[in-house]
Amino acid sequence: MPRSLWNGTISVGVIAVPVKLYTAVESRTVRFREVHLEDEAKIEHRRFCSKEGKEVPYDDVVKGYETSKGRYVVLEKDEIAAAAGDPAHVIDVESFVETTAIDPVFYAKTYYLGAGAKGGDAYRLLHDALEQTGRAGLGRFTFHNREYLAAIRPLDGVLGLHTMRFADEVVAGKEVELSKPSKGPAKKEVEMAGRLVGSLEESFSPGRYKDRYRKAVLDMIERKAAGKKPKKPREKPPEETPDLMAALEASLGGGK
Amino acid sequence: MARPLWAGSLSFGLVNVPVALFSAVRDQGFHFHELHESDGARIEQKRFCAEEDVEVPFEAIGHAYDLENGKAVIVTDEELQEVAPRRTRTIDIEAFVARDEIDPMLFDHPYFLAPTGEADGPRRAYQLLLAVMEESGKVALGRFVMRTKEYLVTIGPRDDRLALTTMRFADEIRATKGIDTGGKKPAKQELDQAVALIDALSADWDPSDWKDEFRARLEDVIERKRKGRTIEAPEERDEPEPVPDLMAALEESLANAKRGGKKGGRSKRGGRAKARS
Repeated sequence: MPRSLWNGTISVGVIAVPVKLYTAVESRTVRFREVHLEDEAKIEHRRFCSKEGKEVPYDDVVKGYETSKGRYVVLEKDEIAAAAGDPAHVIDVESFVETTAIDPVFYAKTYYLGAGAKGGDAYRLLHDALEQTGRAGLGRFTFHNREYLAAIRPLDGVLGLHTMRFADEVVAGKEVELSKPSKGPAKKEVEMAGRLVGSLEESFSPGRYKDRYRKAVLDMIERKAAGKKPKKPREKPPEETPDLMAALEASLGGGK
Repeated sequence: MARPLWAGSLSFGLVNVPVALFSAVRDQGFHFHELHESDGARIEQKRFCAEEDVEVPFEAIGHAYDLENGKAVIVTDEELQEVAPRRTRTIDIEAFVARDEIDPMLFDHPYFLAPTGEADGPRRAYQLLLAVMEESGKVALGRFVMRTKEYLVTIGPRDDRLALTTMRFADEIRATKGIDTGGKKPAKQELDQAVALIDALSADWDPSDWKDEFRARLEDVIERKRKGRTIEAPEERDEPEPVPDLMAALEESLANAKRGGKKGGRSKRGGRAKARS
């Protein structure tokens, strides 16, 4: 049984759904500890005052927000907590939207929600009703000392929760300059490209794609642990495309 | 426009389109700095050898990987660089898949790709790829190397641009096994009522309806503090209790929702999103 990160209640109307929040995505990037190469001893990060050059105990460290160059407003922990939002462990669902209408660019992090101790029927009902309607519940909640907007939707048999980005955090397409060609792609080119896409089409199975970089790092560690020399990788230069139509044709010719 | 994070070419069959990569999200968060309480000076972190109690320069730091047998393998920066993927300048499209086959939980960081260079051909190829994917509902799957890491990415249309999103690998997604999925299957009548409640509380998704109130409050706290005022922490309210009679609660919530209280019952923190059902 996984350990929950947070326990609370989803509130819809007068219905309360007790839930537990779980990690859904876990980075498997190879992690290292910092060590001193010379004696392989642990590296400690120590805090120093930049003015006095002396080590500062953690109790004498405060958090400051820079209002202008070199000027700080110091905030106490409970002052930050005052801004964090409603401290109650409640996800207040305010409205429901069509799940497919939400551009995934708004999803920041994903968690799972499991049923809490009491009210398992309400959890199941919410899950099934969301599944039937194809909708996600939107609401706010406070987690780790800040308030989040969250979207709750059925996900792999349980409820999933995405923390959401706000509109001003998302870059609109028009902010990215686009140099347009003198004329659009010709009909024949669209046709050819369509065929090329078709020839490379497959059904998505995420397990087929492995993290080759992670494997390379782990292999190197293994070789090193066994006292062997690491291997050298090769280099390959990229090519140019002079003629779009010729390239499309060549791709199709050799693509199948 | 911001500086690109990466520049190279998008490789599609034998077609190469020079592109630049831009982040599709911007950080609006507040960043705090650690200060020394007595003199308000910035705190610096220094790396010390725990054994010798001396400061250690960056070049003298290695990376330890703990093995299961309790031993550790020490790896240097050079050794890590040697296994780093070859620094290609291409994003290689390997396959096309239906966009809705990919669950968004696999998406990590969103970016935009913009065509670069003066030549007309590559710009047309960019538009071509965009048009084909828009029409077919397909997205491209590919890999590319940024800094020292190789990423799996999807490339698809967004806002008349090609958007690139880095992805999680399948083994980074936790199984849902062991997570409590609640009680019994709801009765048809309950499900119908719940669906009616969801319908009554439904709205169109409009991101601009939702403001980051946390950021706004933090701004306010900083401003008041700057002026020397005191700030009090809010009082905690009670967590709502699970209701004994689900059907009665559904009916009450639905009646409230229909009366126009879009919160469907409580209006304690209401009035944020506009319902347009």
